[in-house]
Parts: sequence; C-alpha cells; structure tokens
Amino acid sequence: MESKKKLWRGFALFMAVMLIMTYVSRMVYVSRMPRVRWSSPTAASIRHKIVSEGTVEVVNSQAVIGLDGLLVKEVCVAAGDRIEAGTVLYEVDMEDVRAQLDKLEAQEQAWQNQEQAKRRDTATDAVRAQEDYDTTVIELDRKIAEETKKLEELLEDLDTHMFRIPEEDASDEIWIAWADERLRLDREIAEKKRLIEDGQLEKEKILRQADRNIEDARRAQSAAENGLDLGVSGVSQVRDRQERIAFLTELSQNEGKVTAKSAGDVLDVMMQSGMRMGTDAVLRYADDTGSRIFRTVISQEQKGMVHTGDTVRLTFPGSAEETSETIDSIVQENGSYTVTIRLEPGVALGRTEGVMELDTTSEIYDFVVPVRALHNDGSNAVYILEEKEGILGTELSVRSLTVRLLEQNEEYAAVADELMSDDMKIVTDCDQELRNGDTVKEWE
Amino acid sequence: MGNRLTAPAWISRGYGRWRKKKMAWLAAAVCVLSAALICAPLLMIPGGSLMDGTEMKRILSPILGEGQGFAVWHLIPLYPTIDHFYRLLIESPAFYRLFWNTVGMTAAILLGQLVVGLPSAWAFAAFRFRGRDFLFGLYVVLMLLPFQVMLLPQYIVLQELHLYNHPAAVILPAVFSTFPVFIMYRGFTQIDAEILEAARLDGAGELQIFFYIGLPLGRMGIQAAMVLSFLEYWNLVEQPMAFLEEKAAWPLSLYLPQITIEQAGFAFAVAVMALIPALFVFALGQDALEEGIAYIGVKS
Repeated sequence: MESKKKLWRGFALFMAVMLIMTYVSRMVYVSRMPRVRWSSPTAASIRHKIVSEGTVEVVNSQAVIGLDGLLVKEVCVAAGDRIEAGTVLYEVDMEDVRAQLDKLEAQEQAWQNQEQAKRRDTATDAVRAQEDYDTTVIELDRKIAEETKKLEELLEDLDTHMFRIPEEDASDEIWIAWADERLRLDREIAEKKRLIEDGQLEKEKILRQADRNIEDARRAQSAAENGLDLGVSGVSQVRDRQERIAFLTELSQNEGKVTAKSAGDVLDVMMQSGMRMGTDAVLRYADDTGSRIFRTVISQEQKGMVHTGDTVRLTFPGSAEETSETIDSIVQENGSYTVTIRLEPGVALGRTEGVMELDTTSEIYDFVVPVRALHNDGSNAVYILEEKEGILGTELSVRSLTVRLLEQNEEYAAVADELMSDDMKIVTDCDQELRNGDTVKEWE
Repeated sequence: MGNRLTAPAWISRGYGRWRKKKMAWLAAAVCVLSAALICAPLLMIPGGSLMDGTEMKRILSPILGEGQGFAVWHLIPLYPTIDHFYRLLIESPAFYRLFWNTVGMTAAILLGQLVVGLPSAWAFAAFRFRGRDFLFGLYVVLMLLPFQVMLLPQYIVLQELHLYNHPAAVILPAVFSTFPVFIMYRGFTQIDAEILEAARLDGAGELQIFFYIGLPLGRMGIQAAMVLSFLEYWNLVEQPMAFLEEKAAWPLSLYLPQITIEQAGFAFAVAVMALIPALFVFALGQDALEEGIAYIGVKS
C-alpha cells in the first residue's frame, strides 16, 4: 500500500514536472523564434534619385604661346586661378628681351638692305633687256627695208628688160644675151625675196628671244620686289623674325609682362621661373566666352533611368551655384556610360568638379515592397508570412516566394510574380536570418 | 504399513520426476528466451536515447543503406549524451502539446468508459432481463471486430455528426468500446449473487447496491479495465491517424512517425518519455492488470 502511494506521488511528480517543462519549452521555443514585421505590397511607382559626380571641362581653352628661348622671370598665376582681362600671367627677363630684340632687328635690317640691292639689280636687268629688244628691232627693220628696196629696183629692171625684147629676126646672139640678162634678173629677184624672207624669220626669232629676256628680267624684278626669291622657308623665317620682333617690341613696351587677353580660369601652367620657354604653349586658360561641358560616368543600372534630353540639376562643390541643364548625350564606354551636358555660357566658371542630380519616377507597378524585404536564394525572393497549421496549432511561418525584380531604388523594389497578390504579408524586417518554412512571431 | 515400492516402480517414479524437472527447465528456458526476445526492443530504448548522433548513424548505417553487414546495437552507448533529452524536454514544445493531448484524450476516454461502461457492465452482471444474452453477445462480437472493419462506418458516422477532425472522433468511439464493459462485467460476476440478494432483502436500493456493493467488490475488474484501456489508448495510433487531420489534436503516439530515421536518438528519447506514464500506470495497476488478463482468459 505504501509502495502504491509512493508510485502515485512519483506519477504526480512526473506530471507536475511535465507541466512545468511544458511552459519552459514553450518559453524557450518562443524566445528563439525569429520576430518579423510585415507589410502588404502596394501599387506604386519607384522614384530614383541619381547622384553622380563629374568634371567640368572646357571645350576650347586659350593657349598662351611664349617666345622660344625667352627667359621667364616670374610666373604670376597658378592652375585654378581666376584671371581677368589684363591680369599679368608672367614676366620675362627684360635684358633678355632687349638682347634678342636687338639681334633680330639687326638681322632684319641686314635683310632689308640685301633685298633692296637685289631689287635694284633686277630692275636694271629689265631695262637693259628692253633696250636690247628695241635696238634689235630697229636693226632688223632697217635690213629688211634695204633688201626690199633692192628687190623693187630689180623688179623695175626686169620690167625694163622685158620691154627691150629683141626682134623676131634678131640674131641668136642678141636673143641669147637678152635671155641671159633676164635669167640673171630673175635669179637676183628670187635671191632678194629669199633674203627678205630670211630677214623676217630672223627678226621674229631675235624678237622672240628678246621678249623672253625682257620677261625674265621683269619676273626677276617682280620676285625681288615681292620676296618670292626667298622660297617658302625663307619667307617663313622672315615672317617669324618679324613676328618675334613685334612680340618682343610689345613685351618691351609692357616691361616684360604678358597679360591675359580675356577673363577666364587658368587650367595649366607649363613653365617655371628661370626656365627658357620652348615653342609649345606655356599656359592654358579657359576663356569665359568659351563653352564648358560637364561629364560624368553612370552605371549600366543608372543608364536605364537616364535619357538624353532629361533635365538634371547640377551643383558644384564649394559653391552655392546650382543650375538646371539638359543631357546632350550618353555614350557607352567600357561597360559604363558617359553623360555629357553642354553648359550654358557663364555657368560653372572657375569650377572643375560638379555633381549631377536627377529625380525620375517610374511607371506604376502593381507590387512594390520595401527593398529590405528582398533576399537572395539564388534569385530574388521575398518571404511571405502565412499561417501554418502545425502540432502547436496555428502558427506564423514564412515561405520564400521567388519574384522578378522589375525595378528598385534604395528603399523600394517593384516585383512581380503570378502568385503575388496585394493582400499578401511580405516580411520586411526580422531580427534573425530567415529560412524557408521558419516559424516566426510578429514583432510587437 | 505403508505401500512398499518395488524396484522397477521406484525407478519408474524417479524417471518421471527427472522428466518433469527437465520439462520445467525447458519451459523456463523457452520463456526466458521468449521474454528476452520480446523485451529486446525495450532494452534498446534507454541506450538509444543516450546515444549521440554519430554513433547512432554508424550503427544504423547498414539499415540506412550506407554501410555493409548488420547493425550491431550497443546497449551501453560509447559516447553517451543527454542531448536528445535536452532537445526533447527543453526545445520541443510540440512534444508537450501531444503529450497533454494524449493525457486529455486518455483521461476523457477512461472517464467516459467509467460513465458509460460501468453501468452497462453492472447491468449485465446484476440483472436478468429479456435479450440480455443477445445484447451481451452483440457486445462480444463488437469487441472482437478489428478496427479496420469499423473504420469506414465510424468515418461515415463521424462525418454525419460533424465530428471528423475533432478529438471527439477518437474519444467517443473509445468511450463506447465494449472491451472495458466485458472486463468490468467479468469483475462484477465475481460478486456472489447471494450478497446482492441479501442486500435487496435488507431493503437496499439498486443504486445503493451498485455503489456500496458492486463498486467495492468489482473494484479489481474496474481497475483492470482502466489499466488495460489506459495502455491501449495511451498508444492509440490508427484512430487518430484516420480521424484527425489537424496535427494540433494528435496524440503523442503520432509524434514518433514524424521523426525521421536520421533523428533516431531523439525518437528513442521520445519513446522513453512516452513510456514513463505507461510504466507508472502499469506499476499502480499491476495487481488489477493480472486479474484483468485472467478475465480475458475467461473471455477466451
């Protein structure tokens, strides 16, 4: 009987322990259960704010060319400096300027003298050629005239001789003498005609040569006067020297100071004090009157939201300046896209960097969920909160639903799937990593 | 003078004793071997419940098709652990849900059987009325029918009563089970009819006779019926599997099939915990149980 009581007590104790452990296990179970928050998908559009840093570039910059070999005394500006028209860009050594100027002027003077002498010589040659021509013409005309006169005389002699024809019954000797005379006259006439023709031909030949001599002399004179005899390199040298003289003269007048012709921003300075300038540009600056462009690179994802013709907002770091511009082009380069915006004149003066901001709104999607509701289990998926009948009764559990991601921004994502509906409970937050089928509880 | 035994008779009697003793030993050996064979699964449970997963997997690998040869069980685990019990008792509220389902279901059935079966058994035992033998025969026939035979009719009835998928679908058929009626009837029949007659002559009413004579004297039969019913309904599998879809209403006996073979250690721990109430009930009702089994013998 006593043992039965002990058994009853043991049984009761066992049941009591089981009762207590029921609560304990339930508490442990619940304490380990992931807590989730949820929301239902809504029909909405996705807003994008694209922010992209870029650079302001000058399309046509002004290059300041120095004088080759000139010694730089002082550089007065640096890259990024704002300059106005008349701002001193750099100074050159005046002694160097004067020395070079004197040297060049001496060279120029010598050249001028040489050219004048050359022109004089060619003019003389031309005059002489004309004189030779004239003399030759007169001489030849005189000779021809003489031969013509002789021919006319012979023709008269022939006519006279023809009237002196012997009688028919004249002796043979008379006839032979008459015939011989006539023959002689004919031969002389023919000879004169030939001489006249030869004279004409000779005249033409000599005159042609004389004409050529005149033409050559005049051409030489003209070339000397126009400097064509220098050749291309010679002319270039002369011009270069003259330009250098002009530049040095101007420098000298400005006491060696080179100034900006217009306002702008210094982009590059390629010289230093104490160096001698080369033939390249020594300074480059962006002229305010020139156009500027803004360039920025966007990703492939952003490309889908940015289009040519979109109006964007541009700001410039370190400045309160803000402007709205239109995208001119989007060009693909190495997997990314370069957006180019031609800025209005006067915009972004003195700026080398800028930030492009663009707000876009997509079409209205049927199912938009917070982007944090997305997880990746090989593809994009969301966890759906559902009631599940289990041993513990009706519990909340999550089921992974693979969805197609249509569009997303930093906060929201538009998704689609045939099984989706707007009364679904999409898990948005969870205090633990979820797995498909996990039992969860709602986050209070 | 006493009978004098002749030598051949003595020899014959000695041979008879030796033969009897030998048969007794043989019978004992057969019983022990049979008992050992029957108890072998029971002996596996404690060891299995304390066996760690790696060892369990290695042992069961031939069964799982991952190894060769035969599975050789370790009665004492090489790497004992209480992880399975910790997981079961601390981290498995589902186990408790089903445990209390079973407790509630079994308690309701036993209570129902007391309420319904006890008067029935008393009626069969104490009264003589027309059709009693037929009715009792019907009870016996119903008792002998296996569950599979009654499955479809019960299902249809439960559907009509809108009790399908409700704990009552398991409880009500069990409450009206005829087996405890039979056991209790047998217990009541052990009461001498003259005692009942004397009570009636002394002016006791039928209820008084039932409560003051029937119940105390038929206690062993009632206890036997309750113990046997408890053991049967504590391990009920087919009825809840057939009539309860909702897992939350399942009894503990359906928890084990939910556990995969990879969690065999955990399943052993569940078996241990499920065994404890049955052991308590068995220990508490052992005397009555023996008597009940004797009544079943009478039945057969």
